[in-house]
Formats: sequence, structure tokens, C-alpha cells
Amino acid sequence: MSENVIVELASSENPLVLDCGKTIGPIKTAYTTYGKLNDSKSNAILICHALTGDQYVASEHPITKKNGWWSLLIGPGKSIDTDKYFIICPNVIGGCMGSTGPNEENPQTGKEYGLDFPVVTIADMVKAQKLLIDKLGIKKLFSVIGGSMGGMLVLQWLSKYPACVFSAIPIATTSSHSAQNIALNELARQAIMADPEWKSGNYNEQNTKPIKGLSVARMAAHISYLSEQSLHEKFGRNLQNKNKIEFSFDADFQVESYLRHQGFKFVDRFDANSYLYITRAMDYFDLKMENNGSLIEAFKDTEAHTLCVSFTSDWLYPTSENKVITKTFNALGLNVSFVEIDTDNGHDSFLLNEPEFFDTIQGFLDATYKKL
Amino acid sequence: MSLFNTDKDFNVISNLIPSGSNIIDIGCGDGSLLDYLDKNKNINGRGLEIDQDKIRECLAKGISVMQGDADIDLVDYPDKSFDYSILTYTLQATKKPKEVLEELVRISDKAIVSFPNFGYWKIRLNLLLNGTMPVSNNLSYSWYETPNLHFCTITDFIELCGATNIKIEKKCNLKKYSIQEYTKKSKFDNFFLESGMFLISKK
Repeated sequence: MSENVIVELASSENPLVLDCGKTIGPIKTAYTTYGKLNDSKSNAILICHALTGDQYVASEHPITKKNGWWSLLIGPGKSIDTDKYFIICPNVIGGCMGSTGPNEENPQTGKEYGLDFPVVTIADMVKAQKLLIDKLGIKKLFSVIGGSMGGMLVLQWLSKYPACVFSAIPIATTSSHSAQNIALNELARQAIMADPEWKSGNYNEQNTKPIKGLSVARMAAHISYLSEQSLHEKFGRNLQNKNKIEFSFDADFQVESYLRHQGFKFVDRFDANSYLYITRAMDYFDLKMENNGSLIEAFKDTEAHTLCVSFTSDWLYPTSENKVITKTFNALGLNVSFVEIDTDNGHDSFLLNEPEFFDTIQGFLDATYKKL
Repeated sequence: MSLFNTDKDFNVISNLIPSGSNIIDIGCGDGSLLDYLDKNKNINGRGLEIDQDKIRECLAKGISVMQGDADIDLVDYPDKSFDYSILTYTLQATKKPKEVLEELVRISDKAIVSFPNFGYWKIRLNLLLNGTMPVSNNLSYSWYETPNLHFCTITDFIELCGATNIKIEKKCNLKKYSIQEYTKKSKFDNFFLESGMFLISKK
């Protein structure tokens, strides 16, 4: 297992050209790796994290001290076996765990970017990841895997760098952000920007922190990661450490207390401006539009073996959205597999202990590895 | 319906298919047939299966498989996506067998379809003598718990093909494991064969 590594990529002479037309360079990318890259450099798997994920995929998080967000799935002898594969997990640009983003220093001014940071897209994030893969000397990734926003990055890799991807697992994702997805993100952004401590994005400079806004954003998002069934089973109408309702606006119900806790613990590890930038990147994601209205066009050059996974109770990125992707892969005659995992855990399922999901991934990866 | 899928059945199917064909096996189960055809005929195979446990077995064999339902999901495939589609002992479990057959000959050049034959003499005799729905090795479910919805006889199948845009090219005898060019309806087949298997295409 590697420590967190931060590399400088691109440069002021040879900057990263962003979709918005601006350029940045040099950029930083923070990443972790697990396992060993083999001599032929053919066993590399790129893991793409979701909106609030980071590079600590299978090692302890430095702030929360919790296990990595996919440590149930990735490790020695686990479904994604680090004794066999070399795992790379970078923090996306726009993020807040060491990669270039709004809370990092702008090399031009020596001050923090804040809202001067250019609006980045999923494609920009992938361009930065490609620079990292090039730097590591890897020509073709054995697999690119990610859920939710991570799944969008996977799809973007297939579309933009088809020759560099042998297999791919997009999970609980979409090829274009829906109106409902955008609406939920806008709710989160407005919550952050309505907090007077946000200070038009200059909170660090003014020594404040939009704790309330960011935690409300997290609470709203957290609801969308669960399902009605799982909320009902976890909390029902149970009261929090009391026998009867108190006719007040304190957290009477367990579900209220839970959401408040989720919100407040989130602000310790996440930056409010990063949340704005990354949700914006997701909202702009539309592979169909990017390719003259044709999703077929988006994937026309890929030959990758793909496994698409959705979850029955996921209403944020429902099965129907994932099937748009498999339908396109089918129409292109790709080697595509699709599984809808039966679970009540909602969108969050891809981060939870779902043995059938893990077995599905392991079976696909190990069998596909033999086809290299 | 794995009871039917003996190696000899697989061999008959294998003999119907040229090497290197693009194939979809609808209701592919654990992928045994696709695996057999991959090893013997070097096919490029895909599966469609409804059961998650079986899908995982397919994936572990390196077979590309879509979770899906023959009644619903064949519409997602463009015309002529495959050289051959295979539907073994699944037709009787579909909600709309006629539409499924029409989809098969749309998404592939040719289709191989097999099904239990309700015209088989033992089934006729069973109903005649016992007056109960047949339960045998091949049809092991009681009437109240069977997943099978639309049983037919070989004669019924042939008549349905005649009434639609489907041409029968070959018939297979799964007793003798032989393949013959199809010329005309045979009352003997309908009486003596426990199951029917045909190679069909679009008229």
C-alpha cells in the first residue's frame, strides 16, 4: 500500500486545456496506489471516486480515521485483489484532498483560487487522470471502475481514450445528468451559497466556514442516496432518546438526528467550494450532447469489455438510466454484461457490504483478465 | 430447464452452427451451452438471463451476459445483431411466444428453438388414463407451481410458423441426435418425439 502521493502534471508552457476554454498548468494530482504494477504494466486498475469520495479508497482516511470507502471491495485476497492487480485512485481536479482545486493555491497569484478556479468538467477530470496514467508509464489500463460520478468518469474514459481501456465497470451512473439530478445539486449549491459564512467563496481568507450551508447540502444529498424502504427500516418514526414528541423543532425523530449528524461530520472533511465545482461538473455531463446527439457516436471507437451494474432501489441513478448505456453498448456489438442487484439500500448500495455485487465484480474481472 | 441440456443436445446445436458465428443464447442459464460452443466452435457469444446467481456463474466463465427477460429486452437489439439466436426450452415460459419468435428472426439471421412437445404419446396417454396434468422428468413441475405458461405440440409450433413470417429450415431429432432439412409436417414426429428443435429464419 502506498502513502498519499502528490505529483505535478502539465506545466505553464504546456497547460491542461479545459472545456471552458481556460487553461491551467501546472496542476497537482494526489493519488494512492495498492499492489504492484507488473513488468508488462498490464495489471493496472483505475478507480474513479464519486462526488464526495477521494483517493483514500482502500486505506485509512487522514481526517476521519475511517477505513477507505471501498476497503470492503479492494485489498489483498478481496474481490479486487491487490495481490493480483495494481490499483490507482486519484483525487479529481476540483477536489479538496490535495489535487488542484478551489481551495488550493493559484500559482499565478500565490493566493487561494476560491471562485477564480475555472469551472471544470468530467472530461477535464479525465484529461488530468490521463496525464497521471501517462506519467506512470501505463499504455492501457486493464480496467477503469467507478460508481455514481465515478461511473461518469469511467464512461468518459471509454469515450475519450478508447485505446487505453481494456475493460470497464460503470456502476449506478448515467450518460447524462437528468433534470432531477441537476435539481438536487442546485438545492445543495444554494444551501451553501445562502450561508452568510460562505462570503462569496472567500471564507478561508476571512477565517469563516459555511458549516451550516454545507451540512444542509450534505443532508439533502444523503436522502437521495437512500431509499424509502431503507429509511423506514432504519428509523421508522422512532424518537431520538425520548418517549414522546416535544412540540419543538429539536431533533425529535431519529431520522432527523441521523441527518444532522451526517451533515456536521461531513464539513470536517469536505470543502464547500469543491462541492460547488464538482456538482457543476456532474450537471454539465452529457455524453450524448457532447457527441452531436448520438451516444453511439460517443462510444464508437471502444472495444472494451464492459460490466454495467445498477441497484433496484436506486432512484438517483435508476436502472433505466444505466440501461441506456447497456443498450448503446449492445447496439455497437460490444462485449457488455449487465446486472441489476436486488437491494433496499438505494444509491448508496455501491459503497455498502453487498456480497452479490462484490462477487459479480470479481467474477467479471478475473475472467476478463484471462483474455488480456 | 437444465434437465434437457445434455452434452448430446449441445452437440446437435453445435452441428447447426458454423465456426466463429456471433451468437446470443436467450435464457442462457449458467452459460454452459455458450461455453461449450466457445470451446468447440470458437463462437462470439452473448447471453440473456433473468436469474442473478446464474448471471454471476456466466461472468466467472468469462461470458458476456445481460440480465433481462426474453419478453421485454429483445427489443433493445438492432436488426441482424447476431448470426444465430438460441432459445432452448424457454419458449414455453415466455408470456408472448409468438412475439418472441418474431424477435428472434429479427435480431439474428437464423434461430434455433427447442421446446417440450405436448403431442408426445406418453403425455397424451397420461392425460387419457390419469386425467391429470403431466409431470415427468422433463416436465417436473406441478401445474400450480410451473413457470411454464404456453405449452405447445410440434404441430402447433409448425402451424404458428406458417401463420407468421417464419420459415422452418431444419428439424432436429433429439432422440437420434440427427438433423434433417425440413420439408413437411410429420405426424410421427409429433407423436414420438419428447421435444422439438428447429432451425428457423425470416421468410
